[in-house]
Amino acid sequence: MSRGFSTIGVGHPRIDAIEKVTGKARYAADFSLPGMLYGKIKRSPHAHARVLSIDAEKALALEGVKAVLTPWDVPRVLHTGAPAPRLGSLRADQLVLTDVARFVGDGVAAVAATTEEIAEAALDLIEVQYEILPAVFTVEEARRPGAPLIHGTEGNLVMPPIIVQAGDVEAGFAEADLVLEATYHTGRPSHCYMEPNACLCYFDESGTLTIWASTQCAFMVRGILSEVLGLPLHKVRVVVKHMGGGFGAKQDLYQHEFVCALLARRTGRPVKMVYSRKEVFMATKTRHPVSITLKQGVKRDGTITARQALYVSNTGGYASHGPGITAVGTIDMTSLYRCNENWRLEGRSVYTNAPIAGAFRGYGAVQSFFALDVQMDELAEMVGMNPLDFRLKNAVGEGDPSPSGHRLRADALAACLRRGAEEVRWHERWQPPEVKTGRVRWGLGIGTEMHSSGAYPDIKEQSNAILKMNEDGTVQLLTGAADLGTGAHTVLAQIAAEELGMPLANIRVVSGDTDMVPFDIGAYASRTTYVAGSAVQRAAAELRQRLLALAGEKLGCEATTLEIRDGEIRRQGQVLLSVAELVRGEGGRPAVALMAQATYEAKVAYSFAAHFAEVEVDTETGMVRVTKVVAVHEIGKAINPLGVEGQIEGGIQQGIGHSLTEDLVLDPETGAPLNAGFVDYKMPLAPDMPEIRVIILEEAPDPDSPFGAKGVGEDPIMAIGPAIANAVYNATGVRFRELPITPDKLLARLREQGETDTA
Amino acid sequence: MKRLIRLYVNGEPHEVLVPVYRTLLDVLREELGLTGTKKGCDVGDCGACTILLNGEPVNACLVLAVEADGTQVDTIEGLAQVGEEGVRLHPLQESFLRLGAAQCGFCTPGMIMAARALLAENPSPSEEAVRFAIAGNICRCTGYTKIVQAILYAANREVM
Repeated sequence: MSRGFSTIGVGHPRIDAIEKVTGKARYAADFSLPGMLYGKIKRSPHAHARVLSIDAEKALALEGVKAVLTPWDVPRVLHTGAPAPRLGSLRADQLVLTDVARFVGDGVAAVAATTEEIAEAALDLIEVQYEILPAVFTVEEARRPGAPLIHGTEGNLVMPPIIVQAGDVEAGFAEADLVLEATYHTGRPSHCYMEPNACLCYFDESGTLTIWASTQCAFMVRGILSEVLGLPLHKVRVVVKHMGGGFGAKQDLYQHEFVCALLARRTGRPVKMVYSRKEVFMATKTRHPVSITLKQGVKRDGTITARQALYVSNTGGYASHGPGITAVGTIDMTSLYRCNENWRLEGRSVYTNAPIAGAFRGYGAVQSFFALDVQMDELAEMVGMNPLDFRLKNAVGEGDPSPSGHRLRADALAACLRRGAEEVRWHERWQPPEVKTGRVRWGLGIGTEMHSSGAYPDIKEQSNAILKMNEDGTVQLLTGAADLGTGAHTVLAQIAAEELGMPLANIRVVSGDTDMVPFDIGAYASRTTYVAGSAVQRAAAELRQRLLALAGEKLGCEATTLEIRDGEIRRQGQVLLSVAELVRGEGGRPAVALMAQATYEAKVAYSFAAHFAEVEVDTETGMVRVTKVVAVHEIGKAINPLGVEGQIEGGIQQGIGHSLTEDLVLDPETGAPLNAGFVDYKMPLAPDMPEIRVIILEEAPDPDSPFGAKGVGEDPIMAIGPAIANAVYNATGVRFRELPITPDKLLARLREQGETDTA
Repeated sequence: MKRLIRLYVNGEPHEVLVPVYRTLLDVLREELGLTGTKKGCDVGDCGACTILLNGEPVNACLVLAVEADGTQVDTIEGLAQVGEEGVRLHPLQESFLRLGAAQCGFCTPGMIMAARALLAENPSPSEEAVRFAIAGNICRCTGYTKIVQAILYAANREVM
């Protein structure tokens, strides 16, 4: 019954790494077809404007230009940008090409030409007459009476406010000895996946569209293209080979995917479209800037008695995931730390003429946990408790409610806090900010998080897998789950190999072609290992049973007495025959086709983490340097520890960026991004990164998941932000309730505090 | 206007008729089909298109193809040795693969080429020197931890 694992639990190089290190891996923009044209989108320079007319005559006259599309040449089907079938919160508010631009960069026309350079030149020749409309960029402006209505909704609200309540908040506050209310703000980071959005489309003679795309959700791309283009599902084929990152933004469709297909249809030729980096910054997605007004009551003994919050997200020109992240961000404030189950939380999402905000690693909870965990530090100080002890006293654990409605199964958050505290020698090294002096000051801070593996119950999670046995004992694993760079396919192959009792090398993953693989909803919400992995495990278990039954027949014994290990059929440890011998054809007859299929409808599991960040703050320059991060993650079971570490290290890198430097800044007059390029946007580079010590805990394996594994992709970006902000406070006594913490802001605050020479 | 240029790419001569405004990156990708070199920004900020031009690391998006006329160009495709016994990976490719330094893999070709230029000049770099050498190559997946480890490993240094 209990036996050692053969394939999981040890670090495996990714099964696709060989293609990546040799340059053979092909991403969407690497595909070409004979006779291919290049498409480009004409984008509005105005944040809010009505398109009165478009004159394409000069563009069409340019040699090499094959087609121009305007809003009046394309299907006028309002569709959602965010394809996941969420409960009731989707808004169909986007058009393929719009006649009302709602942010700087909204696409109003498109062109196809024989070269990319000609297509670019043609854009300048397309003449667009606009009626400029008043524009708003902040939630405050958008909510003001008389503000322009961006989609005609009352008060520019994307959807009715989300209200989450339990217990009696007023009674809770009355019971408290101290009450703190403060507002927390987060910035507008960009995903900055390295592979710009790209696609290649062509229609074959049967009228079937094939699109090579870079998407986390191939089946959703198929569904929405089918809906908007009026094609049945069997005539849309989405192919995704390698992906150069997505981090949530590639859960949405963009204008190029529709336009490219329409240009291919119009010209009868294949068309490729690749976004420039500037387009990626201005016209794909950002994280939602959110303001959270958070009020909590606390007793002198450190018990939190009630929590009230208003979560307001700026979703920009279109809803995209605004409803989803707002729902998650609001309900997640019920979690992480107990508050006697007294809460009243409200979430609003607001349209503005800012760039569209969408799904981004951490999905709404990054902002909530920033507010919550910074306020935990503030409350600890108010009641005179050490920040670590105050967290341990209130950390959610076994039996506490979770956002999904399920009760938690373990005290995993406290375990993360304890392990991290031990690693950084918290009680020895942590000292209050009052004792810190000198120009460069050292600080230590904590941030925590928890995340469900999958989006249940907001999404009815489901994945499928098909395993096909080959006649030489090797296996094809067909999955619809995307691997956007996470190593998901390696994990799925490991799960199949472990469950089947086969060597990993005998499994080949087939994915990324909607014509071949079974439906999968997409790669997001740390769901792939848990949900898609469960489907794979079940299909593998089914195939194993069938192999054993066949072996029992052949050997004339009970199948239940047999097992498969290392690709061999064994009884009580004795090798009887190999799987290859079992499944090969005999007597000139082909082998019996052995296949297994499984569907898994997931519930929910939670992963937890505590991050301990060490910083050095230069009080003369305002620079914050993160010098070390200890990241403790409880994830049930690490199927591939090498991949888990990679996820955590990368998430911390993004989180350091979001906390200290990254923010897409808009011109307050025009709404145009001012730093839509890597140099001005400034992500952490190799010399900027601290030592990261990753500690993986497997304290609370999930009973319903493959070998107990839970998700990890979203988690690492959520705890690092508050850890850094709390460390900056610990170093300087300056409390930041906003991100990013840039040198100009920090210097100004130090001056206010009388902390610098120039004060 | 087009010009005929001669490039020695991974040791092979190529004659290509190119528009004068076309970058070396576009010529490699579009005309020669060498799509291993990636376009991450096209303005010299991200390093995904790092190649070696006469042995020096450059962003191929910042070089016009006509400027490269007559040069030796090394790309990721030329790094592994293909012989009778199959593909033999370069030590950097081997270490990137084994140590998990390639996640999405989009920055990987440029990163490996930048590292190759470093090791050619400094076969035994410090960790700091490695981090400096790849400061022009952006990765958004790894936090650079495993990339730095892989380069140090390939340089036969003890891993941190």
